[in-house]
Amino acid sequence: MEAIIEIKDLEKVFGHKKALRGVNLKIYEGEFLSLFGPNGAGKTTLLKSIATILRPTRGKIYFRGEPLDDDSLVLRESIGLVSHNSLLYDDLTAYENLLFYARMYGVNDHRERINYLLHQVGLYHRKDDTVRTFSRGMLQRLAIARAILHDPPILLLDEPYTGLDAQAARILDELIENLKDGKRTFIMTSHDLDKGFEHATRLAILFYGEVVFDRRKEETSIEEFEGEFWKWVGQQG
Amino acid sequence: MGRTARVGFLRQVLYIVAKDFRAELRTKELFNSMFLFALLALVIFNFSFAGKMPVRILAGAMWVSFLFASVLGLNRSFVKEHEKGSIEGLLVIPCDRSVIYFGKLLGNLLFIFLVEIVSLPLISVFFSRNEILQKPLQLSGILVLGSLAISSVGTILSAITVNTRTRELLLPILLFPLVLPVLIGAVEVTAYIFQPKGTISQWIRLIAIYDIIFLLVPYLLFDYVVEE
Repeated sequence: MEAIIEIKDLEKVFGHKKALRGVNLKIYEGEFLSLFGPNGAGKTTLLKSIATILRPTRGKIYFRGEPLDDDSLVLRESIGLVSHNSLLYDDLTAYENLLFYARMYGVNDHRERINYLLHQVGLYHRKDDTVRTFSRGMLQRLAIARAILHDPPILLLDEPYTGLDAQAARILDELIENLKDGKRTFIMTSHDLDKGFEHATRLAILFYGEVVFDRRKEETSIEEFEGEFWKWVGQQG
Repeated sequence: MGRTARVGFLRQVLYIVAKDFRAELRTKELFNSMFLFALLALVIFNFSFAGKMPVRILAGAMWVSFLFASVLGLNRSFVKEHEKGSIEGLLVIPCDRSVIYFGKLLGNLLFIFLVEIVSLPLISVFFSRNEILQKPLQLSGILVLGSLAISSVGTILSAITVNTRTRELLLPILLFPLVLPVLIGAVEVTAYIFQPKGTISQWIRLIAIYDIIFLLVPYLLFDYVVEE
């Protein structure tokens, strides 16, 4: 079976700091990969590299078997990115934000699509309010709507639960569950072991830029995984 | 998939301009601060030279005021994209990344040009110079050419300096020496429009070549500039 994304010997260096040290991963269609690791482990760097925001120092990323060189447009058409930042514009309304991204992505029937998604994330009644007035939970719901406007087969979630209260986290859980259709591929970084474990079909731990644990969910238990996670985090001191 | 269709380069550029313009219409913070700054600088020049001044000095005062006002807009240009990380949202959009540069450049040019156009009647009144409003086409031409140079260099520098702590200081330090040739040329051409004397074709050529170079270089380099 061909991996939808394959990462080979990926290295990323910032100045003198090696953020990624030869990461190798094969991610298959329909998988939900939860990626854990302490602060500075390289999780966000890895996600940004996959999203083509960062250029690898060494190594390659393959999308459906094709290397991502200078032309990464095909991959960018296929990914949606949800970050701990909303990636939205404070001075635009919820509708205007989605309209801007829908136009940039060339979303067909964008008005219907935007209204549908605003209903889905429960923000239709606030569609004409500027994003500046939104709570953190509302921002994150709108960020999800923005990320899936073009119905991407790959969704990258970078610490999506950061700063959410319990109710907002529950709503986000429901949204993510609704997006799982068996074909969509998810890569999520998280500090929250329970949330990450709950959604995942596969679990990985990144430590100082290296993948030190990578297993399918059915091959482990939450207790064993927690033990493994704390073993590595403990090493960090 | 099948939900999207590829969008043309120019269309995406215009969507970015429209987005920035819409946000600015709502807050007016950029236009107001740029216009007020230009106005204050002109008032100071007016008092310093007691109202009446030679055309060359007047042209210089105009362009210095516009350049200083432009820095305010250029500084904010990419800051807004970084506030909520929306630059990352732009970077994952399937488009040539120079789309972002040209969208920002065009937006900056539009704001700078608007400030200049609104300032002209006031300059005419302050300095008692009716000829300023008598040749609107020629004046608009040099304003666009000069402002295009300021915007093209300023936009790429704004993208470079946005991640630095001293960006408000760094941008003018880098921008002013780079746009100096254009500033000299623009002053010469503007003075000629007010009072035709000598030739100006060499200055127009200089500004035009400068514009072309600073449209081409960022087009080739922008991808590297926006990478963290």
